[in-house]
Amino acid sequence: MFSLGGFDVNRAMLLMFLAAFISIALLYFGFRKARVVPTKFGTAMEGLVGFVRDEIAMGIIGPTGARYFPYLLSVFLFVLIGNLFEVTPFINFPITSRMAIPAFLAIVTWLIFVINGFATHGLTYLKESLFPPGVPKFLYVLVTPIELVSTFLVRPFSLAVRLFANLVAGHVMLSLLLVSSYVYITSVGDIGARAVIGVGWSVLGMGIYLFEILVSFLQAYIFTLLSAVYIESSTNIEH
Amino acid sequence: MEDISGALAVIGYGLAAIGPGVGIGILAGNAVQAMARQPEAAGMVRTTMFLGIAFTEALALIGFVLFFLA
Repeated sequence: MFSLGGFDVNRAMLLMFLAAFISIALLYFGFRKARVVPTKFGTAMEGLVGFVRDEIAMGIIGPTGARYFPYLLSVFLFVLIGNLFEVTPFINFPITSRMAIPAFLAIVTWLIFVINGFATHGLTYLKESLFPPGVPKFLYVLVTPIELVSTFLVRPFSLAVRLFANLVAGHVMLSLLLVSSYVYITSVGDIGARAVIGVGWSVLGMGIYLFEILVSFLQAYIFTLLSAVYIESSTNIEH
Repeated sequence: MEDISGALAVIGYGLAAIGPGVGIGILAGNAVQAMARQPEAAGMVRTTMFLGIAFTEALALIGFVLFFLA
């Protein structure tokens, strides 16, 4: 859209800053001052933050989850707002459907759980995750490469692709349904009564619209949940 | 017999969706059964169900991405 000191700024970048700004603003205005009786908005934000803390950070990681709660909360809010841009009128573009953003978030999660594993357990982490105990010796030929690929390569890849593909699929589906309804209804002069099909498309499109709101919340939840599960798997390696 | 035309990637995506579709069906069905048998464990079952769905769904989504790449 415009250039800024050698960088080309496009729509996705502007929306990315907007999403970050909205999540900061939500937290700031939700918790600006502690009240005995919180406002309605404050209660809603407390519910959201409490959900991420109790269900995801503490529920999955355990007592040490408090250390990772700030990261999980920021990821949750950023992904959620990025997803909800899909169904925001006049924006209609989920920033998480650009592969760079889910990929970057997934790499950050990868760095956190790998560094956490080495920091907590040292080289035992590598030994425990590549050579799981209780496996017959000769099977390590088979198990070790599989564990290496699945833990250190497939995890960040599938984390990023899951978010990206869900949002792309939703965006494509919404665009197809709503554009075809628009095209059918506006060409009523050419095709006559057959333009009624367009009404059906737009009703279906509205149904998918509601479904996409659900998907936005669900994918933000799943991304955060899986990040927590991966961090947990490098914290407690006894199992 | 006339020639078959169209994108092979569409068939590839359809094949990729079979397995995860069956898998998610089994998973969600068993989760509902577990919740019905033990309603007090519903919260735990639900979290585990979402985790399982996320892992199962990944295969179908990789198929979807390859459909765009092909």
